[in-house]
Amino acid sequence: MTAQILDVLTTAAMLFIVCLGLQIVYGVMRIINFAHAAFLTIGGYSALVAAQLGLNPWLALPFAGLVGLVLGALVERLIVRPLYARPLDAILATWGLGIVIGQLVTIGFGREVQFVPSPVQGTVEVAGATYSLYRLLLVLGAGLLGLAVAALLSGTRFGLVTRAVIMNESLAEGLGINSGLVRFACFSVGAGLASLAGAAITPLSSVDPNMGVPWLVGAFMLVMVSGASLRSLALATLLLGGAQVLISAYASPVLGGLTIVVLAAVILRLRPKGLALD
Amino acid sequence: MTEPLPAREAPADPALRRAALLFAATLAAVAAGPFVLDAYTVNILIRALLYAVVALTVDVLWGYTGILTFGQSAFFGIGAYAAGLAFTHLGFSPGVAVLALVGGIAAAGLVGALVGWLAFGYGVTPIYVSVITLVLPIVVTQLLFSGGTFTGSSSGLSGFDTLDISIEAWFWLAGGACATLTFLAWIALRSDAGRLLVAIRENEGRCQYLGIDTARLKIGLMALSAAVAAVAGYLYAGFTDVIAPELAGFVFGTQIVIWVALGGRGTLIGPVVGAVVIEVVSAYLSGELPYVWNLVIGAVFVLVIVAAPGGAAAMVRRLWIWTGRGRARAGPGPAIEVVPAAGGGPLPDEALALEDVSRRFGSLAVLQGVSFRVRPGELLSLVGPNGAGKTTLMRCIADGTERSGGGVRIGGHAVGRGPPAECVAYGLGRKFQTANVFDGLTVAESLRVARARRETPSLWRRSATLRLPAAAARVVAATGLDERLADEVVHLSHGLKQALELAMVLALEPRVVLLDEPTAGLTKPERTLIGTILTDLVASERLCVVLVEHDLDFVRQISSRIIVLHQGRVALDGSVAEVVGSELVRSIYAGEPQALAEA
Repeated sequence: MTAQILDVLTTAAMLFIVCLGLQIVYGVMRIINFAHAAFLTIGGYSALVAAQLGLNPWLALPFAGLVGLVLGALVERLIVRPLYARPLDAILATWGLGIVIGQLVTIGFGREVQFVPSPVQGTVEVAGATYSLYRLLLVLGAGLLGLAVAALLSGTRFGLVTRAVIMNESLAEGLGINSGLVRFACFSVGAGLASLAGAAITPLSSVDPNMGVPWLVGAFMLVMVSGASLRSLALATLLLGGAQVLISAYASPVLGGLTIVVLAAVILRLRPKGLALD
Repeated sequence: MTEPLPAREAPADPALRRAALLFAATLAAVAAGPFVLDAYTVNILIRALLYAVVALTVDVLWGYTGILTFGQSAFFGIGAYAAGLAFTHLGFSPGVAVLALVGGIAAAGLVGALVGWLAFGYGVTPIYVSVITLVLPIVVTQLLFSGGTFTGSSSGLSGFDTLDISIEAWFWLAGGACATLTFLAWIALRSDAGRLLVAIRENEGRCQYLGIDTARLKIGLMALSAAVAAVAGYLYAGFTDVIAPELAGFVFGTQIVIWVALGGRGTLIGPVVGAVVIEVVSAYLSGELPYVWNLVIGAVFVLVIVAAPGGAAAMVRRLWIWTGRGRARAGPGPAIEVVPAAGGGPLPDEALALEDVSRRFGSLAVLQGVSFRVRPGELLSLVGPNGAGKTTLMRCIADGTERSGGGVRIGGHAVGRGPPAECVAYGLGRKFQTANVFDGLTVAESLRVARARRETPSLWRRSATLRLPAAAARVVAATGLDERLADEVVHLSHGLKQALELAMVLALEPRVVLLDEPTAGLTKPERTLIGTILTDLVASERLCVVLVEHDLDFVRQISSRIIVLHQGRVALDGSVAEVVGSELVRSIYAGEPQALAEA
């Protein structure tokens, strides 16, 4: 029982970390970044490179975030910027970019599955259950990341300007806010967070050129359901991620794999606003 | 003696003749193919041609109708598994083959209709169709994975007995099917009915306010394209003798979108050629340079989406025009034919009635207890300061889902919670504040779309004339739109767009017309012209017009009755003289609250 509760919590935490970057880009730019999967992959390989360089496994996380940030900035300038007015085309172009990145990674690192050392090993006893320490730390990490992003959005000038752009872009521009710069910053941060997320999940799985793809559709669905709100995203990952864990355990893993996408589709059909609270 | 006039020749259709020639040439090439190509190429081409059929369906959905779908692979997979499962578990016989084909088509059509029903309900966000078409292939592949030995799970099914015909026959079958479908789709899409799809892509809201049930149309289209994709999948399974869950998968679904984008969305021939060329080149190159080839495809795809959204077909067309061979085709427009009014029997005493209509946004009441009745032949103006609720009231009349409470009757029919198309069916026409038209259609095509509710458009023919009721024809003639019938709407001036929208609304032969600031942004002569036309229509056809207008001089000139809205309520209802002379109106506009309180 305890193990199951912990499974729900840690799964939700992983999903939250993975979705965060996608949500920031969607929330501000109304653009669905299908290269998100590729940025997760980039994060995984950044962790691999960091390990090969002999960096401390903890340092792999900020390193991956930085790599994603820089690449994201480049991508925004070259590809995403011309597509602000064409959101459907932006989905396609970022998907194409994902293909390109996947092939480049394959050419550079090979197709084989590789492993990255975990920053912490072992298990701990929680209320009678033995549980992976790293997974528990992910819950803490998700909480901290969520708080950090919330603080960035509600406590800084950058956040104020960003929220102005989310609410009414043309008005914000009329007030002298450079919305292009806001978008640039948001896309870069979103890509950086995606890459960080990729590095954070690799110790639990492995690294391969398509490692991000299985996460993509689920993350997309969770973001569609939660709109631009961080609290809604936390709620959505807990509810839908929790349902996934329970259905996988008690019904069948196949149904579990479908839980998030099917539930999200049903929720969005019944309530186009999804779980958005505000 | 006078010579009898020569019979008027049917207008030649050079585009149709060219297309028919191309179709014949393609069929000849398909027939000759197996004799000039080596077996390996023929083998690859058969698959590529079947993929091209699926690409064609994605082009109709995405390129023409604006529905971006990632899930067409699921229908291809359903068709393929219908064949594979039937032949594996029942063995091959002609009866089983027919049964499997019919079953596959039916299953795909049903799933397609279900997806359409989910995606196109009124009020569902437009992005939802992309959401649901992402979910579909994931669900289908997971079901195939979990099917155990029945579906062959991850390795799929292979080695089943199948239709035993030569590879040449398969080539003729695939090539013939692909060419015929492309030709038929071309004819259907340029027909009067086919232009409806483009109208939906350009401006779905306007279509609904022209009384077109766009949801039903899109659901039907989804089911039809699903069925066609299933046939392609069925043939694929029959030919290759190998099927796997990936055929129904999300990655294959995006692959199809890539072919369509690279070939040129919205051109039919572009996506077909794109699918065939990319597949054939892939087959030759991917063996030697697998990653580099996919890298090139991905990079070119990104480049095309960003810099040349029209794909290869648009580039070829531009080159064609640049070399001076093509020219902008804006020939003479069709002749206008005035149709007699449908005449719905004697006019009812009441054209429009509102009873206690209210509209709330949360705790904010924008409209409260609005009640009035309008007779045929009245020109009612709604006036009031900004924020009085005029436009909200228009919305509540024209769309049953907008009201919070109360009732609306149009021509005696109570409007329930019905969407705009239902209100139009009861005789309503609505013109929006800013010109709400179809930028990508010509003037004549736009007017035909407006007539679609009255006269079912042909699925295979383009009409040579433009049939309009007298009122719409008058607006077209008076504003000079008749000289511009073959021009694309995007090139019209602001005033002409307003006139076109008015003509489209009148083409519906409405009994009640809602006009939201029809003269906004127009010049003085244009304003006078529209005013004259409106008053004439009211007098001659007993039309009921409800107008929202800020220009009080204009209102005074043309109205027969004025209602003053203030803070969401009817403050005054009377003749022009009564309202204009009223103290109350002066105080509302001058913003003197105590004067209002005394009234």
